[in-house]
Amino acid sequence: MNNIYYIESTQLNSFFKRLKKNYKVFSPVIKDPNIPEPDYYYKVLPEGEPLIFNAYRCVEPLKSFFTQTYEKITDYFTSDKNITRVAEKTIVWGVKNCDLVAHKVQDFVFLEGVEVDSLYKIRRENTILISSDCTDFKEVCHCLAWDILPHPTAGFDLNLSPLNDGYLVEIGSKKGEELIQKYTEYFVPAKDAQISGRQIKRESLMERLKRHLLPQNLVSKDTVQRLVKQGYALDTWRQFMLTCVECGGCNLICDTCHCFLLADIEEDQKNVKVRFWDSCQYANFARVAGGANPLKTRTQRLRNRFMKKFDFFVDNLGMPACCGCGRCIEVCPGKIDIREVLKDLAKKLNIKV
Amino acid sequence: MKNIYRPIEAAIENIIVESPTIKTFVLRLKNDFEFKTGQFIELTLPGIGETPFTPSSDPSVKDKIDITIMNVGRVTSSLHAVSKNTVVGIRGPYGKGYPLDKFQDKDILIVGGGVGLAPLRSLLFTLFGQIDKYNKVVLRYGARTPDDIIYKESIPKWAKIKKVDVVTTVDVGDAKWKGNVGLVTTILKDLPVDLKKAVSVVCGPPIMMKFVTLKLLDLGFKPQDIYLSMEKNMSCGLGKCGHCRIGRFYVCKDGPVFTYEQLKDIHDIWD
Repeated sequence: MNNIYYIESTQLNSFFKRLKKNYKVFSPVIKDPNIPEPDYYYKVLPEGEPLIFNAYRCVEPLKSFFTQTYEKITDYFTSDKNITRVAEKTIVWGVKNCDLVAHKVQDFVFLEGVEVDSLYKIRRENTILISSDCTDFKEVCHCLAWDILPHPTAGFDLNLSPLNDGYLVEIGSKKGEELIQKYTEYFVPAKDAQISGRQIKRESLMERLKRHLLPQNLVSKDTVQRLVKQGYALDTWRQFMLTCVECGGCNLICDTCHCFLLADIEEDQKNVKVRFWDSCQYANFARVAGGANPLKTRTQRLRNRFMKKFDFFVDNLGMPACCGCGRCIEVCPGKIDIREVLKDLAKKLNIKV
Repeated sequence: MKNIYRPIEAAIENIIVESPTIKTFVLRLKNDFEFKTGQFIELTLPGIGETPFTPSSDPSVKDKIDITIMNVGRVTSSLHAVSKNTVVGIRGPYGKGYPLDKFQDKDILIVGGGVGLAPLRSLLFTLFGQIDKYNKVVLRYGARTPDDIIYKESIPKWAKIKKVDVVTTVDVGDAKWKGNVGLVTTILKDLPVDLKKAVSVVCGPPIMMKFVTLKLLDLGFKPQDIYLSMEKNMSCGLGKCGHCRIGRFYVCKDGPVFTYEQLKDIHDIWD
């Protein structure tokens, strides 16, 4: 059975409106369309506001739908059923492939290992991901350098590819298939010529992105672990650290970074445990009560960020924890560029990228 | 579905003053709680915070656990200020603990420093409970001063158990102290162990673990026969929060007990 359908643009809007009745639908809005490389943000659109197509990823990482910057995580001593789970039926619309790939890391952390994080699991189960092909890229985008494509191939429920006056809609999961069945009146099976048309558009974007990336001579995923391991003692970390202001932005905006801290607070005269996102760039990240701190200096902490992404996750998950979305580059007030750090290691080690 | 971050209830039944900076808290648990020696728990002081500790009691006791705590930080200073019957929370047990099967028929050298004797006491109780399984238990313990020695009344009793050999030392003595003076490495000479069938277990401050490990290697212990209890900033205990990474491991789920063989190629493990 064919799992690719076609929907006309006007029909897509009707489909979107219908979905909004049953789900909390986050979709992209554009902040200032008249500047170069405008930013897209996720928003629950007010009634009547038209759906827009985002050419590339939104500013917020996808992880923000599954863990929150700060949230109550548990009461003390109560039984499971007393805990109200905050997991509305949600659709995230306009997710890009970089985020879907990054999400393998989040799923690995919260759904696998010694125990399952039940809050994450319920939110994941109650969320439908409607992704779409990139039709443009930002200067910082470098997915292809990691062999990550600018269009989704897995990890989505439905994927949209713009084509002429409509979209091809590919089913990526049972949840996606159920949506198509429920709203079957909007969709017709895609014709072979339309699927070829999608391929031509995809290849044309990849060509443009390659032309953007090739002159940058970026590090590849097969080389990167060797670079950070062999470059452990190099001066690169200290040099790039010099402009770090320890804001933690690179970690917090990163769609693969997952570190958090638990804390105990009093809320409405009840003690509760809260969880908030943490950053390994903060001075106290690894400090223990006695005062020992294996990540005392900014140099150590910058290196830690790279060792975690390119050594730890390659060993433990078989992939680097970077999807090339470039968010950390955009957010950094110190202009620390992940691409440049890796290139500097390669240069100093005289290793071909 | 289980909420992995929710603590279970316990009450502080007794508080034993071990030294000017160290107390043992005896916790009575609302429900039975099982742990393997060397595993750790997260102890919540309601509204204040949560900290990882390895119980110092015998794991065969299910309704109570002892936790020996040094007053060194924000949560531990609050803990040192509480009184009996205070309600606390417990999560766990976490981590892998000591691989007792690998200790069978061996000469087990146990080297402790300061409050590092706490997790080792749990191990000692376990070994004493089935002493026939082991060839010998050799304890070497060092504290800063005679006052800083913990389990003061128990140590001489342990020395009288068959197949158990105990030597203690202090870095700095006082007028009453008649025993050894010197760092714990100074009592690792002429050990009554057969290196061909010996394992060693080390727990203490990082600097002590570093020099004890070097000494043991020097004596001829193999890296795979040196078991180290690593201390890092474990927040979740479950390999999710990311704080306790060393190399490709998380101390909380892959440790906290590691062989030196596992760690020897990782940078800065003693920091």
